[in-house]
Amino acid sequence: MQIDVRPVARLRGPNPLDVPAVLGPLFEALGVTSVDLTRLKVVCDWIQYRSNFAEPVRCRPVLADRPARDDSEHAGTDPGAEPRDAPAPAVSSLELALDLRRCADLDLATSVKQALTEHSEPGGPGRTYLEPWGPASKSCIWRFNTLYWQALASWEQVTGREYEQALPGGRSDARNADTARELIGELLAVWDSLEARSALPDQLYVVELGVGNGSQAKTWLDTFVQLDRIHGRDYYRRLHYLMGDYSGHVLERAWQQVAHHGEHVSALVLDASRPQRTLGFLKDKAFCVYISNMYDNLPTDEIASIGGRPYLVEARAYLRDDDAARIARKLRIPKARLVTIVDRLLRLGPELLAETAPDQFPDAGKAVSLWRDVWAALYLQERYAPLDGLDAYQVAPTLTGEILRPLLENAGDVRMHVSNGALSSFTQTLPLLHPFGRLICHDLFMTSPVAYHAGFYGPGKYDGSILNWVNGPLLKLAGNRRGFDVAITPFSGRPDANVRTLVAQVRD
Amino acid sequence: MLLPTTVVGSYSVPEWLERLKTDFYQRRISAQHLKEIHEVAIKAALKDQELAGLDIVSDGELRRDNDIDYLLARIPGVDIPHRAKTDYYDYYDAQVTRPLPAAGNAGPGLAEDFAFTRAQTTKPIKFSFTGPFSLSRRIRDSAYADPAELVGALARWLNGQAAELAAAGAELLQIDEPFLAGYPEAAELAIAAVNTVTEGVETSWALHVCYGNRYARPLWEGHYDFLFPAVLSARVDQLVLEFARKGPEDLRLFGQYPWERDVGLGVIDVKSGEVESEAAVADRIRRGLEFVPADRLTINPDCGLRHLPTDVARAKLRALVAGAQIVRAELSAG
Repeated sequence: MQIDVRPVARLRGPNPLDVPAVLGPLFEALGVTSVDLTRLKVVCDWIQYRSNFAEPVRCRPVLADRPARDDSEHAGTDPGAEPRDAPAPAVSSLELALDLRRCADLDLATSVKQALTEHSEPGGPGRTYLEPWGPASKSCIWRFNTLYWQALASWEQVTGREYEQALPGGRSDARNADTARELIGELLAVWDSLEARSALPDQLYVVELGVGNGSQAKTWLDTFVQLDRIHGRDYYRRLHYLMGDYSGHVLERAWQQVAHHGEHVSALVLDASRPQRTLGFLKDKAFCVYISNMYDNLPTDEIASIGGRPYLVEARAYLRDDDAARIARKLRIPKARLVTIVDRLLRLGPELLAETAPDQFPDAGKAVSLWRDVWAALYLQERYAPLDGLDAYQVAPTLTGEILRPLLENAGDVRMHVSNGALSSFTQTLPLLHPFGRLICHDLFMTSPVAYHAGFYGPGKYDGSILNWVNGPLLKLAGNRRGFDVAITPFSGRPDANVRTLVAQVRD
Repeated sequence: MLLPTTVVGSYSVPEWLERLKTDFYQRRISAQHLKEIHEVAIKAALKDQELAGLDIVSDGELRRDNDIDYLLARIPGVDIPHRAKTDYYDYYDAQVTRPLPAAGNAGPGLAEDFAFTRAQTTKPIKFSFTGPFSLSRRIRDSAYADPAELVGALARWLNGQAAELAAAGAELLQIDEPFLAGYPEAAELAIAAVNTVTEGVETSWALHVCYGNRYARPLWEGHYDFLFPAVLSARVDQLVLEFARKGPEDLRLFGQYPWERDVGLGVIDVKSGEVESEAAVADRIRRGLEFVPADRLTINPDCGLRHLPTDVARAKLRALVAGAQIVRAELSAG
């Protein structure tokens, strides 16, 4: 039996974690079960997000074979149903995951027994599933995330606060005039040198993806106007600042901040994971792409190396039955209908749902209440499904799992984010850069795969959205394989913060 | 034949081959295994080109880790302290601390590569290698007071290789200068070095200048004006340039300057996965014909195909050949 204690930083200091106090009852509980202890691994995490998708004790089976899947079985039926007559997949070993932060307040023996029972009787009572098994990036939790950005105005109306107030410190990290001044100075120098060679294009494009409340754009453009005036070449006349975001509501709010720059600014709603669909016309043209706190909010799978073999973490969203019953009672509907109504909420959004079901939802606010209740009670069940080969796993539209090989091979048995959405976005943004262009991104970046051995990096719930740290080494590798130097450094605006700055530019 | 079709040099490197090459640089497979793998891959690349209908084929440069290191690793006096690579395509950190020896080769040279290719096909072969200026840009030089001296020394080594290639039967050699566009002020130096490479080697010579294709990205931007008039003094028979991605604007240079030799017209954008239609290829050739007569035009992609998926590379070559056939038919119909 292996025991993996990850939050090692918390084992020292004035108030060290009392791991033995958790392991003692755990061993007692395991002693009276029939689980094969030689094939059990206990993983102790510290899940720092107060709101997350994990119950304090979870069972994660490691499957012996890739499970058969027939998606056609689900069309038009209960979204939580598994394929009919699907045989239970063979399990080669078991992982028991504990959240040490919450274990202290728990009857651990009971929780362990319950988790093991639910693992051995997957069809039994206790859970209301919202979807069948699948890669984590395809879980309905991402539909909730998308809904949050699409229906942000409704959400904010019910909560009474803007989403920026939910960020740590109540603001985004993107409004530093000194940083803007430095960057603009470098840009002006590049443009001068290109102009001297008659190689400066007529249109000078700067792109911002994930625009927040527009502060970054305002700071940047206002600073640009000042510096350009001093510089004396009137580059502002040729400047186009493109703001892209997947939330029309956010974009509209940002637009108000920069409206005084008139036709120098354009705003585009785009699929953040596939920026080329909207911005393909900018190939090789953008001199600067600025991205802030967007990658941590894009869909991701997780991949694990277990005994040297690659596994994909599969997930399945569920509500505890008592939570499902409580929410259904509030709506005055049978619990059995709840899954279908949640699916409709995710398809239609709160306003349309209220229009189509006025008996349950007299106004959009009531639909938002359902949304918030379900979101708060949402958990993820997980299992490890073996991959046939890394090349058979599509990480992003033009990238196979082979890109993961160097990271997996050098980190031992490890579980890490694939950051599929971020990787797709990043690799589709790099081609937009002019040969002298630069991508600058502020986000929660991991800097080493080894760090995954020592902490939990998501997913967590952040207001109505999802938050995962981004696999920085993977983005670095993908950038390098495309001829870019990629550096990840502390964020100069707040060096002590978790946010880091990634800079990518063409390697000479 | 009018409008002969060919490649610039490199051919699509599949992901599995990239992985095996990296395995070699991390000492997971032997040099012998890698050699055998390369030979199989080259045979397949030749077959692909023949089936696409190309008139002149190449070995796809599939043995090479990249355009620079394959040569630097063979040049006596170029010091490469660390030969392991995290990824096979990365560049070595190469240095020259003493002037390169005047003559002599280190082990098997390019002629052996050519001989293998010659044995696999009856088609005419183009054999290309990176030129002295671009090679010099990847060397940390503490040996020469004047960087031009290093370029000259590299040119003399390449001249020796070229002579061996010619002796092995090579009839069309091409010098690639992928970095020159980034240093337009060095055009005269680069052309002088090209002339050193071709000196006394009686083959047909091509010179390829592009805007870079590392990782399918342009390294530089601008226009081909910097090549002229310096390139007029190059002792080469053909100038191979990119026009598909950049557009036909720079074709005007053949109207402005007395270039009366052949032109290799880039009609396939190798930086895009979108396959050109044969009609689009034909259009690009027709634009070329406005500035260069048909008997001096060779049809090729903009640059090497190495970064394209193999199915896309095949499809692009088929489009290239079909586009050339359309224009050939138009020309013979008068």
